[in-house]
Amino acid sequence: MPNTPLLKKKGGFISRFKYGYHIVFAVLVIILAVCPFVMSTTAMIQFLGKCMCYAMVAIGLDLVWGYTGMLSLGHGLYFCLGGYAMAMYLKLKSNGGNITDFMQIAGINELPTFWKPFLSEPLTFILILAVPAVVAGVIGFFVFRSRIKGVYFSIITQALTWAAYSIFIANSGFTGGNNGITDFDAIVGKTRGPANKGNLITLFIITLVVLVVIYAVASFLVNRKFGKLLIAIRDGENRTFFSGYCVNRYKNVIYIISAIMAAIGGALFVNFNGSITPTQMTISFSVTMVIWVAVGGRGTILGAVLGTFLINLCEYNLSSGALVDVWQYILGAIFCLAILFFKGGIIGLFKEQIPALIRRITKSDKNKKEAGTDAA
Amino acid sequence: MEQVVNTLFNGLSLSSIYLLVALGLSITFGLMGVINMAHGEFVMIGAYMTFVTQQFFNQYMPESIGSLYYFAAIISAFVVTFILGCIMEKLLISRLYGRKIDSLLATWGVSLILQQAARTIFGTQGVNVTAPSFLSGGLTIGGCTFSYNRIFIIGLVAVTIVIVWAVMNKSGFGMKMRATMQNRPMAQCMGINSRKVDLLTFGMGSGLAGIAGCAIALLGSIDSTVGQNYIVYSFITVVLGGVGNILGTVLGSGIIGFASVFVETYQSSSIARAIVLILVIVFLQFRPKGLFTIRSRSLDEE
Amino acid sequence: MGKKGFLKIFATVTASALLATCMLTGCGNSGGETSSGASTASNQTNSGESVKVGLLHSLTGSMAISEKAVSDAEKLAISEINESGGVLGKKIEYQEEDGASDPSTFATKAEKLIDQDGVTTVFGCWTSSSRKAVKPVFEDYNALLFYPVQYEGMESSSNIVYTGAAPNQQIVPAIDYLIEKGYKKFFLLGSDYVFPRTANEIIDAQVKNAGLEVVGTEYADMDQTDFSTIISKIEAAKPDVIVNTLNGTGNVSFFKQMAEKNYTSKEYMTMSFSIAEEEVKTIGADILKGHMMSWNYYQTTETDTNKKFVAAYKDMFGKDRVTSDPAEAAYDAVYLWKAAVEKANSFEVGDILKAIKSGEISFDAPEGKVTIDGDNQHLYKKVIIGEVKEDGLIYQVHATDEPVKPDPYLETYEWAVKAGVKPLE
Repeated sequence: MPNTPLLKKKGGFISRFKYGYHIVFAVLVIILAVCPFVMSTTAMIQFLGKCMCYAMVAIGLDLVWGYTGMLSLGHGLYFCLGGYAMAMYLKLKSNGGNITDFMQIAGINELPTFWKPFLSEPLTFILILAVPAVVAGVIGFFVFRSRIKGVYFSIITQALTWAAYSIFIANSGFTGGNNGITDFDAIVGKTRGPANKGNLITLFIITLVVLVVIYAVASFLVNRKFGKLLIAIRDGENRTFFSGYCVNRYKNVIYIISAIMAAIGGALFVNFNGSITPTQMTISFSVTMVIWVAVGGRGTILGAVLGTFLINLCEYNLSSGALVDVWQYILGAIFCLAILFFKGGIIGLFKEQIPALIRRITKSDKNKKEAGTDAA
Repeated sequence: MEQVVNTLFNGLSLSSIYLLVALGLSITFGLMGVINMAHGEFVMIGAYMTFVTQQFFNQYMPESIGSLYYFAAIISAFVVTFILGCIMEKLLISRLYGRKIDSLLATWGVSLILQQAARTIFGTQGVNVTAPSFLSGGLTIGGCTFSYNRIFIIGLVAVTIVIVWAVMNKSGFGMKMRATMQNRPMAQCMGINSRKVDLLTFGMGSGLAGIAGCAIALLGSIDSTVGQNYIVYSFITVVLGGVGNILGTVLGSGIIGFASVFVETYQSSSIARAIVLILVIVFLQFRPKGLFTIRSRSLDEE
Repeated sequence: MGKKGFLKIFATVTASALLATCMLTGCGNSGGETSSGASTASNQTNSGESVKVGLLHSLTGSMAISEKAVSDAEKLAISEINESGGVLGKKIEYQEEDGASDPSTFATKAEKLIDQDGVTTVFGCWTSSSRKAVKPVFEDYNALLFYPVQYEGMESSSNIVYTGAAPNQQIVPAIDYLIEKGYKKFFLLGSDYVFPRTANEIIDAQVKNAGLEVVGTEYADMDQTDFSTIISKIEAAKPDVIVNTLNGTGNVSFFKQMAEKNYTSKEYMTMSFSIAEEEVKTIGADILKGHMMSWNYYQTTETDTNKKFVAAYKDMFGKDRVTSDPAEAAYDAVYLWKAAVEKANSFEVGDILKAIKSGEISFDAPEGKVTIDGDNQHLYKKVIIGEVKEDGLIYQVHATDEPVKPDPYLETYEWAVKAGVKPLE
């Protein structure tokens, strides 16, 4: 992958100054922070909240794919692990720790043991982080140990997610099956309707803060030596290995971090959505996450966030009525075009293609040099 | 006894279906290194072609040859998916050689478009294909019934494999194809038009998916999402068998097909699927490159 | 290089244009909704020449196969009402959203319809998972959902009107009929989700209460394509009748694969709860001939309203389309909403609900007269057992004399209460 925006090869206007990405992100955060106060409908606030949760997953995915070069098609699993953990806690909170309706249908009379930890709030928060970390750690340990990489990694993560999906469906007495876990209030109380706008704003701001923290952590990681190593693994795994780095360990650590980010996204998502279903664990949802990152610009944290917001906003506004058919075509086309011509996504568009276009139009001499690098 | 024969036949027939779907993939993925997520959609197109051919025969052909529509369907499905595959190779895949993961993502975009196209053309509801009269029903021996459908599909797979093998190993094109896939620069030096070989190879892989679609049309629903049901299994089959090896794909689909049937005999189908997938993944721990691997001393190849 | 360069420029321009359009639409819309608040939105509904309702179904994804017919029927009803002068003198406008077969999308879209587009009534959903996901949305915003599909019961929400059958209007009478016909060994086959699981629990209790036997229960994956192993299990269990709660594409695979083993309704009779005329068409009448269904409506139901309904449906969507129970229930839903609005003389949810609670809202539907039960907001419906004939239509073989009172929790059935089939408190 020759396209490495991080190395800041040549000047686009974002990379002219060092903190360009951060400034764009800061502007985005400010816009988001203002949103709940100026918007009078709660639907849009709820929706933007969900987008922020998706953005967390996208950042996680970007760390393993954009930076480390391992395309995971199974991040839906971690999203759901976080989501289910939170949903179990909220469900028990809303029904006073009793068994749920789906347990009753399956003939379970007592709260299953693995539900019990979710009676306590602190334990729930720990588990939201710990369960995906352990799952990702174990999967990563075995997968990386046997040197499964590239597309094999994608196919295996995809298969694993499908297996997990089947297990969640089959054990409907414990997980709610296809319906998932529904009918509970968010952690701050009810969030829907004009009367509960205060709660919604609280939740929104909490989520925004978490997003900023995750962005900061991710940026911190990739700007250290650790991040450079990830890029080195992406661009030449064996060379990195022979340079004396334990590649597997780095891969595993970043995979775990990414899983945790996805789980946090999932846990917060449940608060906005008011339910969690295994649909979020399907392969198509996992690939959709990859679409966000690819469109936004892989290999940049900001790209993952921008792509998520852009695709979801479009989907929200375009997938209704007569536009539904067209939207599916547009989505497919955007994806093909982004992969074919804009490897850098939106970020790349602003950093490389548009400046190149401007230069071309002004018939500058740099033309030839550009074409030379673009041909790759 | 009956039970055992039944189970074996079910396993054989399921394996043959997986094999038929995975065969095209083992060419495009195994030999060319292209991860075609739209493979399932080519299967769907094949299934829809069966429907279209049937409608055409019902409308314009005398009733006496009506049930022969199915053979026409196999040919037309192959031709249509072959052409679509070539178009896709020309427009998309040819720009993505060497970027495996990117080919995976770009073809996902294509699969979204193809699914929506199916909905636009044929409507969201499924369509119905009636099995040709010589394939309806089954042959009862003792207490076991072997359906003609399944026997036909097993035969179809066998014939397809023989043809694919012959094309690859006995024809001039096959030689060029293998040469290109094994050492592209060298093949190019020998005057092989590698672009053309790529084009035809991908077309062939897609065409096989079309044939698989005809088989699936006999067994289940034909709608815009039918391809999605097979895509993960077929990738796993190819990976399990060892990429780039047709024999491996045969064995891989056999293992997955029989394992699914055996586990499902004792478990619900969701659990069976999970168990089979996990078993395959565990197996890949020990042989990450599948049952048959082409050994190479090259370090950075994937 | 010239060609390549041109391609690059072209692609860049197209993509920028695309992105810009998408962004503009997004901004345009969000700009719009900042100015129109929730309160003004509800005013909008009442003012002007028209009233807006929402349609919320999966138009893409795996459920689109089923939900298209339902949303078509709703559009038919709306256009009929508009032609005959509208509701309270206002034309009905609809906004259609795509649930994309994903419950979370359903929740997001429901909220968008209610809060952003100022819709107070939505006709929508098919799967139980989508209904359960949107239920809290409708309750929190105090909006109204008309749910047009038969379902597993064990639910009632004052913000949902269920126009499909409750279990005691489909499952229980069907099993009664089977028992009466002398079937002794039952095999329960369903897709792996909540409707079949709940239905099978009910059937199990009912069959055991009659002193008969359930010889096997099997759940198939939602996207299962190979049923040979399940058919082997059925052969081994030797049932008299298979009670089939498979949903969607599973039915096609199951019946095609039964047929290839030479099994017809003579060897294994089936009673299906999710196969309507649409599905018969995709499976093939030659295969389904003689099998039984239980619904409240068939295309062949002989009422005057039905003749008009079938003719209008075919006229609007094509000669080869067929009407089905869910489509008819969706059609009824729109007319019931109209009746409720007219009785309330208002479009406000509170007034409409008060009218519904009176228990006097009824509609002379294609299936016969249906009335909303004021207590649980389900419909009084006649139950009709039907059989598939060669022409691909389902004909009545047995029907209840009177519309059956809906009982979603089966509280009036002693065996159900005894077996613990009840909702959670």
